[in-house]
Amino acid sequence: MSAQSKPLLASDRVRVYLTLVPYLLELGQVSLAEAAEEFGVTPNEMRQMVEKLTVIGLPGDAGFWQQPQELFDINWDLLDQEDVIEITNDVALRRVPRFTAREAAALLAGLQMVAAVPAVSDSGLVSGLISKLSRGAADAPAEVVVAPSAVDEVRQVVSRAVQQGVAVSFTYQAPDAAPTTRTVDPVQILITNAQWYLQGWCHMREAMRTFHLDRVSDARLTDIPITHAGDQVPEAFAAVDDEGEVRVRLPERVAPLLGDFLTPENAEAVDGIVTARLRLADPRGIKRFAGRFGCALEVIEPAIARTAAREWAAAGLALYRDPDQGDAG
Amino acid sequence: MATRIPAEERLTNLVVALMATEIGLTKQQILDNVSGYRQRADAGARSDALEKMFERDKDELRTLGVPVETIGDPADPNDLREARYRIPQAEYDLPGDIEFTPAELAVLQLAGSVWSAESASGDAKAGVRKIRALGIDGDEPIIGFAPRITARDAAFPQLQEAIEKCRVVVFDYLKPGEESPRRRSIRPLALVDYEARWHVYGVDVDIEADRMFLLSRIVGDVRITPTSFDPDLRDGAGERALSGLERVAAQNAALLEVTPGTEAALRLGRRASPATQGIHVPFVDLHILADELASYGPEVRVVEPAALRDAVIARLTAVVAANSDPEESR
Repeated sequence: MSAQSKPLLASDRVRVYLTLVPYLLELGQVSLAEAAEEFGVTPNEMRQMVEKLTVIGLPGDAGFWQQPQELFDINWDLLDQEDVIEITNDVALRRVPRFTAREAAALLAGLQMVAAVPAVSDSGLVSGLISKLSRGAADAPAEVVVAPSAVDEVRQVVSRAVQQGVAVSFTYQAPDAAPTTRTVDPVQILITNAQWYLQGWCHMREAMRTFHLDRVSDARLTDIPITHAGDQVPEAFAAVDDEGEVRVRLPERVAPLLGDFLTPENAEAVDGIVTARLRLADPRGIKRFAGRFGCALEVIEPAIARTAAREWAAAGLALYRDPDQGDAG
Repeated sequence: MATRIPAEERLTNLVVALMATEIGLTKQQILDNVSGYRQRADAGARSDALEKMFERDKDELRTLGVPVETIGDPADPNDLREARYRIPQAEYDLPGDIEFTPAELAVLQLAGSVWSAESASGDAKAGVRKIRALGIDGDEPIIGFAPRITARDAAFPQLQEAIEKCRVVVFDYLKPGEESPRRRSIRPLALVDYEARWHVYGVDVDIEADRMFLLSRIVGDVRITPTSFDPDLRDGAGERALSGLERVAAQNAALLEVTPGTEAALRLGRRASPATQGIHVPFVDLHILADELASYGPEVRVVEPAALRDAVIARLTAVVAANSDPEESR
């Protein structure tokens, strides 16, 4: 296993060197901590890499070791005494390399995704960036297209609230509940799986909450400055303490459809069947998942959840037997 | 006795050597002189083993976007025995006329943060780092927005690689309602995230027609074949794919009746247009819409098309069956 992961590690390090050298030359002196942070490695790894740089250089002539000026060198005193990196002799790699096809593809797809974010679309920078990234790529990136999402009035208003740092109030229609009027200190807008969520401090619940924007209507900006902006955003779909647990069973092949709800901690696969423990505010809410997997999801417990799933589906079926009961439920 | 030179050191030395030469170095010169090979040769490593190592290193560098150029014998381009290798600086450097403003860097930093898959996330960060290495500091980061893309499908990386290399792929594809998967050969042209699902758009080789495939319906591995295709096919493929999906959605509309004020009314209403009785919801895939509609239980009734109605009924029937117990009395 270690033999397999080693070459991968080596290419990652090469990739770091190719950008690290021009970065250090551009900045002159950089603290070890700052460089480590920039390149996503530990300060210790960064120190080792910089020390290793000094044995890299131009090829020697057969039989002769390289001359000092043919190798990279650093200010050793500065590194040893002050944890600061400075290149004192450079032999190549002075210029920043082009983007790899993968780097360009990852950023191009990301740009399409953020193009819908009002803070970005207002800037008008996206199309220029797309052409720069495409032109700066070493090889043509594979086209990775992210379909644009529609930004309606509610999304605009909530985005403005985030940008202006004021509370937003709206009508919230949670499933199987009466509509409520909420005032929320917005912390962030989460956009995932083509859905928009507002995460923020709910004045009514006096707690951080996540709101699905499809369920929001009549959004209005208030003039109440936000007071909970610095609070930690909850993990998007993390369990809240008072939530109930539902055990379900489904074939492994459809498990990816559950996406963020499944984690290695809450799911277990045996013989192609996944058993998972899901947390829901109301265990009966599982009824809305059961139909999504082409029949494949079975609710094991609690019994009220299993019953809810069955009765929900049965009520749906009843519509097709007697269309006059269209308003049932 | 000779201490082993780590691979990253050998590879970086190779880059430095190939960038420093104008006329190029022969394979022999590289193996004899570049640190990392030299020591192995001195220690008695077989030359064919060293040559293989050089071939692998060259591929590795190309994957990292380093343009290793091969200059063959002009009289016989296939004869690589005396070939010379070099890295042309002009093709290596990020072109000097590409500049980024601090505001652009801030946008790219947000764009680079969207990936949750580890490899794409690493690629995006490495790209942003290159811009930072130009000496550009971004504006204040754009906060308050957390867009996320997920690409969990196992087929994604292979398809991306096949598109980059313009190679035909083969995979087994299971359509809902079919008993067993069917083998498909396609020239993959673009990956498309549409309604939170990844699709691959390409030319189905057997019927010579453009087709769209859902990655979640690919069964098993995607095999990249040695057969390549014309890179020109990729031009504008993303736009063709997207407009194709939009055309399909415009042609397929479900007529639905929804109970006002319910989850179904809210979620479906956002993409619906009003009909005389009920609402019209466009869709591209009947089975995916059926999954969603089944989750709404009694909040929605399918009027037409009949196939969608049947698909929803089948799902609801199955949920009832899967969650019924004879001993569980109510």
